[in-house]
Amino acid sequence: MPLKEKLPDSHLEENLVTFTNLLRQAGVPVSTTEAMDALNALQQVDMSSREEFKTALQAALIKNRRDQGYFNRLFDYFFASPETRIREEKKAAVYKKKYEAGLDQASKELQFKGESLQLSASELAQYNSMSPEQRERLQVFMHKTETGVNVEERFRPILEAVVKSHLRYCRTNQNRDKKEGGSSSASASGAVPGGSGSGPGSGRAALSEMDMQAITASKLPEAEQLLQRLSKKLAIQILRRRRSGPRSGPLDLRRSLRDNMRYGGTIFKLKHKPRRRSREQIVLLCDVSASMQHYSTFVIQFMHGLRETVREFSCFSFSDDLENITPDLKNRGGLQQLLDRVIRRSDTWGGGTNLGLSLRSLMEKYPDLLNRRTSVIVVSDTRTIALDYSIKELGRLKDRVRRIVWLNPLPGEQWPEYRSVQSMSALVEMWPCNTISQLEAVLSGRL
Amino acid sequence: MAVTMPDLKQGFNRVGYICDDSTALTVYLTLALEKPLLIEGAPGVGKTEMGKVLADILETDLIRLQCYEGLDETKALYEWNYQRQLLRIQMNRNLEDDQVTEENLFSEQYLMERPLLKAIKAQERPVLLIDEVDKCDPEFEAFLFEVLSDFQVSVPELGTIRANQIPVVVLTSNNERELSDGLKRRCLYLYLDFPSVENEVRIIKARVPGVADRLAWEMARVVARLRQQGDLRKKPSIAETLDWARALVALNRSRLDGKLVGETLNLVLKTRADQEYFREEIGPEGIEDMLRQGGNGGGAARCR
Repeated sequence: MPLKEKLPDSHLEENLVTFTNLLRQAGVPVSTTEAMDALNALQQVDMSSREEFKTALQAALIKNRRDQGYFNRLFDYFFASPETRIREEKKAAVYKKKYEAGLDQASKELQFKGESLQLSASELAQYNSMSPEQRERLQVFMHKTETGVNVEERFRPILEAVVKSHLRYCRTNQNRDKKEGGSSSASASGAVPGGSGSGPGSGRAALSEMDMQAITASKLPEAEQLLQRLSKKLAIQILRRRRSGPRSGPLDLRRSLRDNMRYGGTIFKLKHKPRRRSREQIVLLCDVSASMQHYSTFVIQFMHGLRETVREFSCFSFSDDLENITPDLKNRGGLQQLLDRVIRRSDTWGGGTNLGLSLRSLMEKYPDLLNRRTSVIVVSDTRTIALDYSIKELGRLKDRVRRIVWLNPLPGEQWPEYRSVQSMSALVEMWPCNTISQLEAVLSGRL
Repeated sequence: MAVTMPDLKQGFNRVGYICDDSTALTVYLTLALEKPLLIEGAPGVGKTEMGKVLADILETDLIRLQCYEGLDETKALYEWNYQRQLLRIQMNRNLEDDQVTEENLFSEQYLMERPLLKAIKAQERPVLLIDEVDKCDPEFEAFLFEVLSDFQVSVPELGTIRANQIPVVVLTSNNERELSDGLKRRCLYLYLDFPSVENEVRIIKARVPGVADRLAWEMARVVARLRQQGDLRKKPSIAETLDWARALVALNRSRLDGKLVGETLNLVLKTRADQEYFREEIGPEGIEDMLRQGGNGGGAARCR
């Protein structure tokens, strides 16, 4: 195929830059070099062929199978045929008109003393997205408030605050339901209106990107398979890393001299020391307070798959005190049973969290487990009573073990809001971890 | 060595490597842009084979670097022939007229070229196959992408050696660990999946002379069905399908049935757990049913 001297479309570079920006927004890392490679690749193909155009872009821009689903959806959206684009634009115009009319209607319905409440567009949109029954309930509440005894104009800010709070609550519930329905938080849906889940961007990939808290009982078997697959993969990786290479250690001068005596003392063959690697000892501490039990169960399941790769694996649950659940992990019969047996049977299940007391119990009752080969993995959102005491105990534990890796299911953007997160992350390696893919990524880099 | 897209497709056909157009186009772009090609995919989908067939098609040398943990520059790039240098010193100890200088000892005759240096010094553009790159250490990977970006290496005693020809570089990975962004950025990327039933039939017929059409078709469907079983520890690779086909041809069989699958199962399923899983979950009866129904056995594996 002859090299084309000139690009046929002068807008191609601009389109390519916009497309790579969209990919970046969807979380696909694309460097400038790769964008330039894509441009060079396009010069080598027949750009009138959609398939060749797509293959060239894909080969240069996508370097991971899990990103291919995002790429496919974005490509279909961004490089749509003119007919499809016109159709989509018409649809979008109709949708916009309907959306604006909906906001007007919501504003009329949410009035106090004949005047609309001061609500943002997103709050009005939230109102519209609620079921007719929910809307009616809110209207009845507003009407009763409005017609109550001695209710004056000065009640407006209070009513506004109550309505806003109710709308926020409904939005949180809706989001949770959506997640349970299988939509991926990391999908490119923000960038691609109406993008449907297809290819590797959906299914197993979507499950691994889903908040673990939102994985419902119906999806547990699939999640269990995924966890097994990932932990098996990581186990192979860890065991492989432990196999020593041909020149594993530093030069062993004593052995080299002794072995080369036969050559008259000339160092003819070098001898190396074997690489010293002892198997790690892992202590897993799982917060099983009500908000954490889902995350903890998934981490226990994942770590259980790795137990053969570590010298010793111990598992504890904690909320207001510590409980050794290592024996419960032996005859495991699935994620749901594990949840039943370990979490529900736990004396501490659903209680408040006292991290400090739990850490103190660990250090006092199980001192043999804590040494310089021990890695402690904590699964907790850091919310605990007696924070200062907990921080002090965490510092003591840190001095006794090799390292502490903290898996925190709170989203990273919320961390600055919590003093507990800030104080504890200064002491330990803390990683956001609320999806299976994050769990895999954090542990694969740390074990 | 200008290769056109039709040449490449013809080449793939000639050497019996069956692939779809998008795979061929990605390989063509690798050649045209002189970029390394990173191929990922499950074991046994034809990643390593791609390096070999490229060398065949381009009629050039294949230089292979097999990666493993502990692989370092001395095994991948070059090493001084320490023993030979010592022998030279010993031999010349009593010969006053032949001075052994440092320049003499660190000359090219004492340099042992390893695959990367061989590829860089090759007079004709070779195919450099860096196999299972995910098995090497991250430090070596960092070193590798430096070599792959400049195609030159510095030997302190000799100076910088630049590539005469930029080699065709094919890296393969089973995706057992995430490769660094730096390495990926320098490569074009191709994911190879198991072939569709139709393509697998073509592969069997191309690679196993004498195989009956019907047998090839039935085998491809059975293998596709096995690969769909998520609980199998190891899915059958293309090479294993071919071994199975050769065995059945040697047994003079032209049709497949449940009993025969059961008897020759160890050629495609290589662990006891997988064989037991097959007997419990599918069994010879399941195979019979599938073959009778005439469906494709759910051979939904995408074309590679």
